[in-house]
Amino acid sequence: MKVLAIVKTELTRTFRWRANIFFLLIMPMGLILLLGVAFGNSATRIGVVEKEKGQLASQLVATLGNQPGLDTKSYDNLGSLERAVERGYVSAGLVLGSNYDQRLQAGKAVTIRYFARPDSTAPQIRVALESSVAAQGSALVAARIVHSEQGRSFKSALRRVNAVKATAPVGVSLLAAGGGKYPTGGGQFQQSASTQLLLFAFLSALNGAVWLIETRRLGVARRMLSTPSSSREIMLGIVLGRWVITLLQAAMIVFFSWLIFSVHWGDPFGTGAIILVFSLVAVGAGVLIGSLCSSAQQAGPIAMIVGLVFAAIGGSMEPLQYFPATMRKIAHITPHAWANDAFGTLLSNGGNLANVWLDVVVLGAYAAVLLTLATWRLRRVLTT
Amino acid sequence: MNREQNSSVLHCEGLRKRFGEIEAVRGVSFEIAPGESYGLLGPNGAGKTTTISIVAGLLEADAGEVTVAGNRLTTKSVAAKAAIGFVPQDLAIYPDLTARENLSFFVKLYGLRGKANRARVKEVLEIIGLSERADDQAKKYSGGMKRRLNIGIGLLHSPKLLILDEPTVGVDPQSRNAILESVEQLSGQGMAVLYTTHYMEEAERLCDRVGIIDRGELKAEGTREELVALLGEHDKVHLTGSGHLEAAAKACAEIDAVEAASVGQESIELLVEGASAILPEILTTASSAGVTVHSVEMEEPNLEAVFLHLTGRALRD
Repeated sequence: MKVLAIVKTELTRTFRWRANIFFLLIMPMGLILLLGVAFGNSATRIGVVEKEKGQLASQLVATLGNQPGLDTKSYDNLGSLERAVERGYVSAGLVLGSNYDQRLQAGKAVTIRYFARPDSTAPQIRVALESSVAAQGSALVAARIVHSEQGRSFKSALRRVNAVKATAPVGVSLLAAGGGKYPTGGGQFQQSASTQLLLFAFLSALNGAVWLIETRRLGVARRMLSTPSSSREIMLGIVLGRWVITLLQAAMIVFFSWLIFSVHWGDPFGTGAIILVFSLVAVGAGVLIGSLCSSAQQAGPIAMIVGLVFAAIGGSMEPLQYFPATMRKIAHITPHAWANDAFGTLLSNGGNLANVWLDVVVLGAYAAVLLTLATWRLRRVLTT
Repeated sequence: MNREQNSSVLHCEGLRKRFGEIEAVRGVSFEIAPGESYGLLGPNGAGKTTTISIVAGLLEADAGEVTVAGNRLTTKSVAAKAAIGFVPQDLAIYPDLTARENLSFFVKLYGLRGKANRARVKEVLEIIGLSERADDQAKKYSGGMKRRLNIGIGLLHSPKLLILDEPTVGVDPQSRNAILESVEQLSGQGMAVLYTTHYMEEAERLCDRVGIIDRGELKAEGTREELVALLGEHDKVHLTGSGHLEAAAKACAEIDAVEAASVGQESIELLVEGASAILPEILTTASSAGVTVHSVEMEEPNLEAVFLHLTGRALRD
C-alpha cells in the first residue's frame, strides 16, 4: 500500500510535466525514423534503360529485381540514368541495347553496360547482375540445344527450357540462424527501434537521478522516513516508481513503432524479459547516480554522459555489426551490448526466450549489483 | 521504564550526537507530558535541529535513549514513529502536487486507508484553511500557505506528539500569527508539542515549559516563571548608542553588579543586579569607554535575559 502510494506519486509527478511526454515518446520515435533511414536495410535500387522492350531483356530485368534486397527502376534514356546514379537516386545503372533479344536469339554475344556509384554496394550489385545473366545464359544455351536437336523453333525451345527450369529440384530458401523463419516485417526500422528503445529507456531511467535528488532537496524523502514506514518500503517505492516509468516508456515505443513503422518485436516472452531486466539495470544506475550526486546540476550532465557513452559503446547509436571485432568485445562491458545482442537474436533471427537466456542472466546480474549498491547508498544518504 | 516515563509522551535521556570533531548534542535529557507544549529555545547552531532529528527518528543518536508513547525510538522503529507528527524547518512538500495530493500521499504513508484516509485529508484541509485551494498545485501558494500545508502533513494521523522545527522562519507576520494560533489550538486539544525556536516571544507565548539549549547542552528547563526566577533580582538593561560598543560592554562587565554583557546592533545588553542603583555607574563607564549613549531601557526579566544569564551571550548571537 505504502509502496504503491510512492509509485503513484512518482507517476503523477512525471506525467504532470508535459515536456516528459516529448522525451519519453516523441524524441525516441523521431530517432527511430532517422536511424532507420540511415542504417536500415532498405533495398538497393538499380536504374535500367531498355532500348527495346524485348522478352529476354524484360526477363533479365525481372530476374534482377527478384534478387533479395534489390529493386529496379526504369529510365527512358542513358543521360537521365547517369544523372540518377551520380546523384545517388539509384546505386547503379544498367543499359540493355536495342538489339539485345535479336542478337541472343541469333546466338550472338551481347555486351551489357553497367556502371555504379563508388561505394560498397557496387561489387554486390555486380555479383547479383552476373548471377542473373548467368541464369539467363544457361537457359539460352539449353534452348539452343533443344532447338537444334528437336527441331523446335528457338522461342518454343526457350519456353520449354524455362518451364523445366521453374520446376528445378534445387532451390535456396532464407532461414534465420536458429532455423526459424527469417523475419521480413519492420524493414529498415526493425533495428533502429530496438536500439533506440534501449538508448531512451536507459537515459530516462538515469534522468530519474535528477528526480531523486529533487525529492531529497525538497526534504520529502527525509520526511517519508519520519512516517511509520520502513526504509525498505520507501526504497522499494522509489525504485519501483522509476521502473514502472521506464517500462511504460518501453511499452509505448514498442506499441507506436509497431503501429507506425510496422516493427515486429518477435517472441513476446523473450522481448518482454529483455525489456524488464534491462529497465531494472537502468533504474539501478539512475538511483545510484541520484544517491551519489549532491545536486541536480551535477547529476543531470553525469546521467546524460553515462547514458550516451554507454549507448554509443553498446551499439545503440551504430549497430554492433559495424564495429571491429575488438570493439565488439569491449562493447560488452555495457548492458546495452547484451540487450542489443538479445534483440538481434529475437528480432532479426526469429529467436525466442530460450535463445537469449544468457543475455537475460547477464543483465540480471548487472541489475542485482547496481540495485544493491544504489539502495545501500540511498539509505545511507537519507539517514546520516 | 519508570512511572514517570510511562506518563510522558516523550522521554529523552542523555542524548549525544557528534559530527566529526563537532559534538552537536551533549547529553540532552527532557520529557514532555500529554497535552504539554515544550519549547527548545536557543540560537542558530545550538543543537535544536539535531536534537529534533533524533527525536523524530531521522537520526541515530551516538548515545542516549528516546521513548515515544512508551515505545523506544530508533531510526527503524515504526511503532514509535506512528505517534509522531514531524514538521521540518524547511518546506517538505511536492510543489508540483496539489495540497490534496500531498496530504493524500502522506496519509497513506501514515497507514490510513480508504474512507478514513479521504475524511482525514478533508479535515486537515479545513484545519489549515486550504479547503478552497485544495486542488491547486502547491507551487502556486503563498509562502504562508505552503507553511500551513507543511504543518498539515504532520497532523494527518492525529499524532500524540507534534514536533515543529522552527515553523515560522521566513514567514510574514500574518502567517506567523496564524501558525502560532494553530499550535495553541492543537496543544489545547491534548496533543503534546515539541517546538524549537530562536524567537523568545514564541517560546513565551506557546510553551508550558521551555528548555534553554546552547552549544548542544540543555542549560536549564522549566516554566517561564521558574526560568526567570533563576535570575534572582536581576534586571535587563538595554543601552543604545554609538562608538566603541565592544570596549564599553567589556568595561561594564567588570562592574560587580553586572552579571553579563553582550553587544548587539548599535546596542549593549546587560544583566544587572539592582539596576536602579547602579545605572549612573553604568552610564559613566560606557561614556568613558567611548560610547555616546542615545537611550537607556530597563526591562522586566524575560527568557532572553535568562539566556544571557545562563550563557553569557544574547539569544540572537
